Amino acid sequence: MKKLLICTIALLLLLSSCSKKEPEKFTEYYFDYFDTATTIVGYSESRDEFDAVCEKIRAALEEYHRLYTIYTRYDGINNLYKVNNSDGEVTVDKKIVDMLAFAKEAYYLTDGNTNIAMGSVLSLWHDARTHGEKHPESAALPDMERLKEASLHTDIEKLIVDKEKSTVTLLDDKMSLDAGAVAKGYAVEMIAQNLESDGISGYLLNVGGNVRAIGLRPDGTKWTVGIENPDSTSKDDAFLALVSAESEAIVTSGSYQRYYYVDGKAYHHIIDPKTLMPGENFRSVSVICQSSAIGDALSTALFCLDYKKGSALIESLEGVEAMWVMPNGEIEFSSGFESYIK
Amino acid sequence: MQKVKNDIILAIVLLLTAVAGLLLYKTLQSTGEYAIVLIDGKESARFDLRADTEYVITTDKGSNTLVISGGKADITLANCPDGICADHAPISKSGETIVCLPHGVVIKIESGDKSSDEIDMVA
Repeated sequence: MKKLLICTIALLLLLSSCSKKEPEKFTEYYFDYFDTATTIVGYSESRDEFDAVCEKIRAALEEYHRLYTIYTRYDGINNLYKVNNSDGEVTVDKKIVDMLAFAKEAYYLTDGNTNIAMGSVLSLWHDARTHGEKHPESAALPDMERLKEASLHTDIEKLIVDKEKSTVTLLDDKMSLDAGAVAKGYAVEMIAQNLESDGISGYLLNVGGNVRAIGLRPDGTKWTVGIENPDSTSKDDAFLALVSAESEAIVTSGSYQRYYYVDGKAYHHIIDPKTLMPGENFRSVSVICQSSAIGDALSTALFCLDYKKGSALIESLEGVEAMWVMPNGEIEFSSGFESYIK
Repeated sequence: MQKVKNDIILAIVLLLTAVAGLLLYKTLQSTGEYAIVLIDGKESARFDLRADTEYVITTDKGSNTLVISGGKADITLANCPDGICADHAPISKSGETIVCLPHGVVIKIESGDKSSDEIDMVA
C-alpha cells in the first residue's frame, strides 16, 4: 500500500515540477538616446544579470548618441555637432568615421534616397516641427524656397571621410550632416555585434523601431516581433504581421513614428530628398536583413522610393526582405518575406 | 483490506485534487490581460482590462490620462509636446505598447498566459 502512496507523491512532485523556474524574461526601457525610446527584452537567470547586460547596452547607446548627435555639444567630444559647426578638417572618433563611411555606401546603394548630407534641409523641417509642437496655433511648414536653397547643399561627394587620419571634412560650408536615417541602426548593429562577441544570447534590442535579435530565446525558439498596425481598431488587427527572428534585424520606418500637425494635417519626419517633403507613398516600410545598419538605411530609402523601384532594389539584394504598407492599409511583401511570417 | 481500499481512495482523491488545482491555477493565470503603466521603465500601476476605469499618470514631466474601456487601454489626453501617445490607437493585445517619449511613459499590455507564442517586441 505504501507503494501506491509513494507513487502518488512522486506523481504530485512530477506535476508540480512542470512549473519549474526557467530563465525569466525581463524588460528595460530608456528614453534618453537618439530621441526615441529604447526597449531591451532579455532572458536571464536573475534580474541582476539582466541589469548588468542592460547597463552595458545603455552605456554604449549613450556613447553612440553623444557621438552622432547634431543637436548637442559635449565638452571634449568631437561629435557630429562639432563637425557641422567647424570649418575644415575635424579629427573624430573611429566610431564616427566608420558610420559616415557606411552612410556613404548606403547613399550609393539607395541611389541617394538615404542621404546623411541632407542636414540643411532636415534642420528646416526639425525647426518647423519643434516650433509646431510648442506653438500649435502657429504651426507651419518650412518655406519651400528655403528648402530648395538648402537642397543645393546636400552633395554627398562634399563629405570627405578619411579613415586613415580619422578625420571628416565638409567641403561645402553650407552643408551639414544629419545621420538620423542611419545612426540608430548603425549603433544598434555595433552594440549587438559586441554582445554577440561577448557570448551573450537571448536578447532583443529595439531602438526606435530598429529591432535586432541577439541569439535565440533560451528554449531555442525564435523571437516573435510584431509589426505595429498604427490604425489598429481591435485585438485582431493589432499587428500587421508577426515575424520570427533569429539574430536578424527588423527595421520599420513609419509615418506614425514622429510628426506634427499643420492645419490639422500630420506631417511626418521622413523627408524625400526628391520632393523635400514627407514621403507619401506608404504608411510604413519594414525591412528584414542581417544588419540593423543596412535595415535602417534601406527602410528610410524604401519609404521615399515608389513601390516599383523599391521592390526592384530589394529583389536585387541578397538576404534582404521588405514589407510595404500602403496608405490604404494594403500590404505588399518582397518575394522571400513570407518565409519569416509566423 | 478495508485499509488498502481507503488508501487507494485517498490516493485518488489527492491526485484528482492536485490535477484540478493545477488546471485551475493555469486557467486563472492565462485569463485576463493587464495594462501596465511604466514611468521611466519602472512599473507604477497595473489595470485589469476587464474593469473600465480612468487614471491620470503623473510624472515630473507632465501627465497622461489612461482610459480602460471595453477591454482596451488608451491614452486619451496628454500634455506632452508631440501628443503622439494620445493619437495612438487603443491597445488590447499582449505585447502592444503606447509610448510617450517626452514623459518617459510606457503603457504595455501583458497577459497571464506566458506561452512561447507571445510577442517579444513591437516594431
